[in-house]
Amino acid sequence: MTGALQGRTLPTVQDVDLKTETTPLVDGRPLSLPQESLAGAMVVLDGVTKIYEPDVVALRDVSFVIEKGEFVFVVGASGSGKSTIIRLLIKELEPTRGRIIVGGRDLGRLKRSKVPMLRRNVACVFQDFKLLPNRTAYENVAYALKVQGEHRDSIRKKAPEVLTLVGLGSKMNSYPEELSGGEQQRVSIARAVVNHPPLLVCDEPTGNLDPDTSVGIMQLLYRINRSGTTILMVTHDREMVDKMRKRVIALDEGKLSRDERRGGYE
Amino acid sequence: MRVGLVASEAVRSLRASMSTTVAATLTVLIGMFVLGLTIALGTWVLSWSDHVKKQLLVKVYFTSTATPKQEASVGNFIRTDDRVVKYTFVSSERALVVMRKKFPDLVRNLSYNPLPDSFEVIPKKAEYNAQIKREILHSGPKGTVPPGIEKVKDGGETSRRVLRVGSIVELVFLIGVIVLLIASTLLIANTIRLSIFARRREIEVMKLVGATNWFVRGPFMLEGLICGLLGSITAVFLLLVGKEVLLPAILGHIQDSKDVHALAFELQALSIIGAGLLLGAAGSGLTLHRFLRV
Repeated sequence: MTGALQGRTLPTVQDVDLKTETTPLVDGRPLSLPQESLAGAMVVLDGVTKIYEPDVVALRDVSFVIEKGEFVFVVGASGSGKSTIIRLLIKELEPTRGRIIVGGRDLGRLKRSKVPMLRRNVACVFQDFKLLPNRTAYENVAYALKVQGEHRDSIRKKAPEVLTLVGLGSKMNSYPEELSGGEQQRVSIARAVVNHPPLLVCDEPTGNLDPDTSVGIMQLLYRINRSGTTILMVTHDREMVDKMRKRVIALDEGKLSRDERRGGYE
Repeated sequence: MRVGLVASEAVRSLRASMSTTVAATLTVLIGMFVLGLTIALGTWVLSWSDHVKKQLLVKVYFTSTATPKQEASVGNFIRTDDRVVKYTFVSSERALVVMRKKFPDLVRNLSYNPLPDSFEVIPKKAEYNAQIKREILHSGPKGTVPPGIEKVKDGGETSRRVLRVGSIVELVFLIGVIVLLIASTLLIANTIRLSIFARRREIEVMKLVGATNWFVRGPFMLEGLICGLLGSITAVFLLLVGKEVLLPAILGHIQDSKDVHALAFELQALSIIGAGLLLGAAGSGLTLHRFLRV
């Protein structure tokens, strides 16, 4: 796994102006967060507010920093703004206020034409897998590589390799409907990590799975994290969060209510 | 962006929504076919009207009792007119010879020559005909009709009537073409929209894994272009069949001059294919702009 997941990283926070002690600059603009917290940051949310039209407040002035290589759970009740954070990180949404910096890039200043590059570096795994039903496991992974302009020979090498790594070496030619929920999620994870993204965001990846299968998926994500990929995982899985004792960011009605280094669900 | 992949995605999508693709292609075909007919007819009518104008003469017919002196006096009047390029005296005998050549059946049983002497006057421009006619008719003493003249014809009414019919036909075709072009564009737009809907899952995944804007839009754009291209090429083929098979049969009866012709077929074919591609692009662009913002 380590070998397969070593690879590209997003640009570091090199644009941060280290000379300024109190107001660090990213892309020439000041941040309200303390400068020392930005060294080695993968994700920075700085006073982010998101209001859906007309007046539904999803996030209220949320700020946090996730360092490279961290495994972070984002927890909270339904409607607390967890999934909004994921959609903001892949620039599917724009914040109403505040700034989001991923790998040193201010997303507010990122041109629309650069969004595909961002999404190649911020891989996503969803509760509903988002697999193409008319393509096999192999084709689903290969499709992502094709879309990114990968050469055919490279696809033939990478796709089976990553599927074997997620434990689906024998089911490469199966269609999603022939696979169990856990297996489908493994295909989805394989597709997400095949190009070694520095950041993996997961939106309730175990939400549709039974407890045993969920453990398998979490073990897989843990191994991916150990290989250096930063993981931000939105979840409702209390047992898993309590068991793993990783950093927990809790949201309550759009506000950041807790940020614990080795936290539990509550 | 991999061109091969975009093309294969476009073909896959066309197959998936076959019925709407066929409908859109057929509408383009009809639109382009009528456009082809309009271009052909329009340019033919223009060419024909030029031809007709060139043939318009002022004819001065004399009575059977007109004396050579009276005829010479009218001839002198015509000669002094600057707007006249050429005038010819046609005697009744000469007129009968010409008539016999053109319509032998008509003159075969004639017991006498009923044709009068006449002048054929060719003006510099067809537009002068009416004026010349009017002045000849008033060139007699005190502005009266000169003695010996039976009638003067300028051929204007006939040509004007024919040209009027020609422009009405052109207008009807033009309106038809515009309606069909709009219908084709909307149908292509609708085909692409259905295609986007059918492939929304795929589009979602494409965006998720970082496909570029053009990679997502490319197949749909190509799909529209393929519809436009197929429709227009088929229309060109049908027009070619019409030109080679039907046209000679029709023109054989109504056309006797070589200098009346429509726009060259190669140019027509190019304009039709160009218009088809433009339609495809417009249809796809319209939908992609509205429904597929990556």
